[in-house]
Amino acid sequence: MEFENIKRGRVWRFGDDIDTDQIYPGKYLPLTDKTEMAKHAMEGTDRGEEFLKNVKTGDIIVAGKNFGCGSSREHAAIAIKGAGVSLVIAESFARIFHRNCVNTALLTFELKEAKEINDGDIIEVNIDTGEVKNLTQNKVYKAEPVSELEKKIINAGGLLNYLKST
Amino acid sequence: MTIIEKIFTRACGKPVRPDMYVWAGLDLVAMRDFGGPNVVQEFKDNFGDAPVFDNRKVAITFDLHIPPRDEKVARNQQILRMFAKEKGIRLFDVNTGVGQHILMENGLVRPWDIVIGTDSHMNLLGAIGAAGFGMGTTDIAGALYKGKLWFKVPHTIKIVINGILKYPVTAKDVILYILKNLTTSGALNRAIEFTGEAVKMMNLSERITLTSMVTEMSGDIGFIEPDETVFEFLRSHKVENIEPISADEDAEYEKVYEFDITSLRPQIACPHSPDNVVDVSEVAGRKIDQVFIGSCTNGRFEDLKIAARILEGKKVNDNVRLIIVPSTMEVAQMAEEAGLYKIFLKSGAVVVNPGCSLCTTGHPGILAPGEVMVSTSNRNFIGKLGKGAEVYLASPATAAASAVRGVITSPMEFWS
Ligand code: SF4
Repeated sequence: MEFENIKRGRVWRFGDDIDTDQIYPGKYLPLTDKTEMAKHAMEGTDRGEEFLKNVKTGDIIVAGKNFGCGSSREHAAIAIKGAGVSLVIAESFARIFHRNCVNTALLTFELKEAKEINDGDIIEVNIDTGEVKNLTQNKVYKAEPVSELEKKIINAGGLLNYLKST
Repeated sequence: MTIIEKIFTRACGKPVRPDMYVWAGLDLVAMRDFGGPNVVQEFKDNFGDAPVFDNRKVAITFDLHIPPRDEKVARNQQILRMFAKEKGIRLFDVNTGVGQHILMENGLVRPWDIVIGTDSHMNLLGAIGAAGFGMGTTDIAGALYKGKLWFKVPHTIKIVINGILKYPVTAKDVILYILKNLTTSGALNRAIEFTGEAVKMMNLSERITLTSMVTEMSGDIGFIEPDETVFEFLRSHKVENIEPISADEDAEYEKVYEFDITSLRPQIACPHSPDNVVDVSEVAGRKIDQVFIGSCTNGRFEDLKIAARILEGKKVNDNVRLIIVPSTMEVAQMAEEAGLYKIFLKSGAVVVNPGCSLCTTGHPGILAPGEVMVSTSNRNFIGKLGKGAEVYLASPATAAASAVRGVITSPMEFWS
């Protein structure tokens, strides 16, 4: 499945150093069903309840530094994607979380100015160029575009599907 | 080029730059009793009965719950033993020790290699010039099938350590001091090269201590240019055709930090973060309940030797439990031959079979709420070793001195 190259959505803002235990609390690790996992996305953060009640398909998470640090659980990426979030923007990502996102076909963007984007803003992201338009604040930023390599894996539906097909 | 750039350039057959995305062939794929069973499940779900890409390049190590503490762990180890048999994979069972150390001692890792595994501290393999990466289940399952994975080439930070290390100040004090300065996010997604006169004089154990704690700075990998110290270790562990690796003169570093450790005093990381570091003297006298000497960071023979030098002829304080865990069976045997076991047992220490032991919860030796432990391991996050417990990270020398006194104690007091 090819993704559309422009994604538009409402922003959910989170802070620095959001670890995987906040994204997906350890007590749900035994869950294996992806729809069940999605019901706990971001649950451990201070606004988890609000997020889970109101998140809509196509919404976008914007976070600060070192998003996804901590344990290597893949549930974190799977739950965010399952909750309908179309992509995650952060000032920086923890390496293993970033890998898990690519491997489970969730788009991520590193944006130095992530902090300037506010909760509730509507933004538009161009997957190919990395251009981030903040429609609410009328500002434009440039993130690293998604690499060709990542695109291929994400288009295939994740790492294992990709490896099977090559 | 820096060391990591050279390794990826060779592995993917074209010159690389930092931030490039590349596919690279893998020299070794490792998994362990924790995480390993999930990999097997994912492998079977996706690839059925397919063989692994090259069974000589796969290894399984048991180092976490050894021997198994409950039925679930026993079952997990059984799954891995069956998988190993089916695919012809080498398995290091419950009598061997910490995975990364086992891979090194068995000649499975060499300079230039790219190694992945299910542990967070694979990067300690940089101590011999190999690139080790901790990975998640999907990565390892995919790697077992194809023998290659994608990487984003990291930038490199250079850390120059000048001066001369004077015992009882050790490599652990040095890396804690660096952590204090760089913080837990100071090397986010970066490779580090440690160099400088102090590093060149370090033995392999000390180098492992440095490179293992790159994880705590959120770094990808920490390298030390392998030299005769490493080559000798490799040769004595049956590695042939060793190829040296070093950064080019004109390699580009994102940042360079310099430290002089000549007057460094023993350091300790206070609860609940590895970068919450102070001079041991600042917290000396604080009451403790338990001491752990071991882990992939400080469980080598030289680590035990320093502890023994302090413990010799002394008793562990009545209010303290001292738990000592050699990192591997080879280390345990060396310690036994050198007479260290006698010293440990006479002092009243509990000596446990080789492995990871008190690195995380679920192990014998877990703490009760409110208890305080001095540990030579690498992480002291809240709850990692028991709810409401506090963990201080220090060197084997500080740990041993504290065990004797029953309070946090600088090893300087025991050194003449
Ligand atoms: S001692 Fe801890 S960090 Fe080191 S290899 Fe074992 S589990 Fe991993």
